[in-house]
Amino acid sequence: MFLKIMFVLSALLTLGGAFLTASSKNLMHACVYLLACLFGVAGLYATLGADFLAAAQLVVYAGGVVILMLFAIMLTGGVQEFVNKFGLDKTPSMGSGKTYTIAGLSMIVTAFIVMKILAPVFKTPAQTDLPAFTSTVEKLGVLLVTDHVLAFEISSILLLGALVGAAVISRPRRGK
Amino acid sequence: MNSTVVSYLSQAPGYALAVNKLTELFGFDATGFVNFLLFFLVAFIVVNVMSAIGGLGTYAERKISADLQMRQGPNRVGPYGLLQFLADGVKMIGKEDVLPAQADRFLFLVAPLMCMVGVFASLAVLPFSNGFTLTNLNIGVFYLLGVSSLVGVGIFLGGYASNSKWSMLGGMRGASQIISYEVPVTLSILAIVLMTGSLSFDVITEAQGGLPHEWFVLHNPFTFIGFFVLFIGALAETNRAPFDLPEAESELVSGYHTEFTGMRFAFFALAEYVEVFVVCGVCAALFLGGYKVPFDLGTGELIMKTFPAVHPMLAKQIGNILQLKVFVLKTLLLYYVVIWIRWTLPRMRVDSLMVLCWKYLTPIALFNLVGCAVWLWAFEGKSVWTLIFKSGVAAAGGHH
Amino acid sequence: MSSHNLDVYMPVLILMAFAAIMVLGALLVGKLIRPHNPTELKVTPYECGEEPIGSAWSNFNVRFYVVALIFIIFDVEGALMFPVATVFKRFVEIGQGGAILGSFLLFISVLVLGVVYCWKKGDLDWVKSYQVSTDYNEKKDK
Repeated sequence: MFLKIMFVLSALLTLGGAFLTASSKNLMHACVYLLACLFGVAGLYATLGADFLAAAQLVVYAGGVVILMLFAIMLTGGVQEFVNKFGLDKTPSMGSGKTYTIAGLSMIVTAFIVMKILAPVFKTPAQTDLPAFTSTVEKLGVLLVTDHVLAFEISSILLLGALVGAAVISRPRRGK
Repeated sequence: MNSTVVSYLSQAPGYALAVNKLTELFGFDATGFVNFLLFFLVAFIVVNVMSAIGGLGTYAERKISADLQMRQGPNRVGPYGLLQFLADGVKMIGKEDVLPAQADRFLFLVAPLMCMVGVFASLAVLPFSNGFTLTNLNIGVFYLLGVSSLVGVGIFLGGYASNSKWSMLGGMRGASQIISYEVPVTLSILAIVLMTGSLSFDVITEAQGGLPHEWFVLHNPFTFIGFFVLFIGALAETNRAPFDLPEAESELVSGYHTEFTGMRFAFFALAEYVEVFVVCGVCAALFLGGYKVPFDLGTGELIMKTFPAVHPMLAKQIGNILQLKVFVLKTLLLYYVVIWIRWTLPRMRVDSLMVLCWKYLTPIALFNLVGCAVWLWAFEGKSVWTLIFKSGVAAAGGHH
Repeated sequence: MSSHNLDVYMPVLILMAFAAIMVLGALLVGKLIRPHNPTELKVTPYECGEEPIGSAWSNFNVRFYVVALIFIIFDVEGALMFPVATVFKRFVEIGQGGAILGSFLLFISVLVLGVVYCWKKGDLDWVKSYQVSTDYNEKKDK
């Protein structure tokens, strides 16, 4: 019973947040709606029994990425002026022919992917009861240091690249 | 694993009876409904007690600061001025709700809401005692890191929504300070997770003992430093002095809540004081033995042994209450230290704040993490006292 | 236990709901008793008695953004290290700790490499990085 309630709540939060993010004209508001959407996704993970993934979603996205986005918006001077200092629209209108074409194409691609994912669901009877709750953290940890140790190590190099890249991009230009 | 306060209460005989009665009444399995009611009741108690503690925190802050500055402090409302926070609350509700003309109305409401939601959600995993933990999630510590980051977003939005320069500066500072200090905090928590092999608060607390030498803070030199890194980081994450730059009254008027009046301001303040309690509780649970009572008093085993006539359930209850008291005592002692620090140390500068975080605490926390890992590997997780005792026995020509 | 395993998340939702009810409820109840007479002066943002000039929503320094970027990288590292840290003790108990410690240390050392790079280049300084670079330029110019 609670499973269903939690699923419906999370799904509503995800969908509602995503819709409002896309439809909001105010960047700051869109960011807050995005936070709600990410919370909903964390709830969906929790419903599926992936507790660590849900918490990681909260820590990385709600704690990090949303704050980064808020700072990025402040970097452009908030939402007060709709045109930035280069004379470009901060929230460009969505209604040109080009955007409709791209949206239509991406919808077709997404629909194919979704159908591909959904296909096995209808073939096999849906699982009614989740397996008993065992922590996913230990399983993840064991996999990360045994089968997928290379991925674990390489991810650190990826993050090193990101760190150095962030530092280089933000450095004031020499000779100015 | 994943035990909750309901799984503890369900040992009581009345629980099964209530479930059966309600199942007959509704015609479907009422376990979930009964669980919900119990959770609701306990959460209601926790929320009220925590709000009272938050309110009393403001009183304690004023009283202790008065004590340190040789003043009287609040002493009119109630005995020793104890009911001052209620009087403040009544005043706050009656205050006009001023909405600045250029403010963002929506975010002006969302900001205090987000602070409160983040802080209250983190109460869910706080280990008050072995039985009385609202929910003991497998991912407890990590979950707490996640939801408490909402407070940072709330503070930033509070600063942004007011459209006042002071607030904006305070909000930006607050958010960047909170996320910066989350790095050393995460790393020092990681060291404890390494030592215990679990993210659940219950397992982490049970891995420690009741007496100080069994606590993680005195486990080995690395955890000893780790405790102070965590405590300093926790001070900064809750915007307490000497890290209260987001609300530095001498430079930013009142920081991110300059424009907030009445109840909206009260919720920012309440969230701050409850969050201080939460982080003190986390420090106590991770490093200071949490709810563990010395000599097995907490589990009721000593009582059962000494007085065999006592019913085991009763002994367990007495143990539980002792655990609760010990946890709250440790947390409140840390709370006192937090307030004491505020009225003793001067505020830091923004640049030295960042230097402290990135050039001192983060490298130290990383060093601690490596040290703990090596210690665990080399000594198989034995504490420094066990090692000293062992070598002492060996030197004295013991059996080993 | 198997069908009620999600009950552990119940208090989380209940507490969040309590927080929301508390904030909204107090504001609604307060609406009945509090005065409401905004004047033009009252609703101007506070600026020490001066008339506010311009909006507060202006361009902010890039260093806030950089701090957030570095934080996210540490955050992801933390999220990756938590599962490994959880199982480390169990591997030590079965005598396999050395290999895990090795991979763990390798992971951390790559992270430390990035920190050392940022430190040396002055990206961890709040103010100084700009002065350092100009000093460098002046020296180069001479």
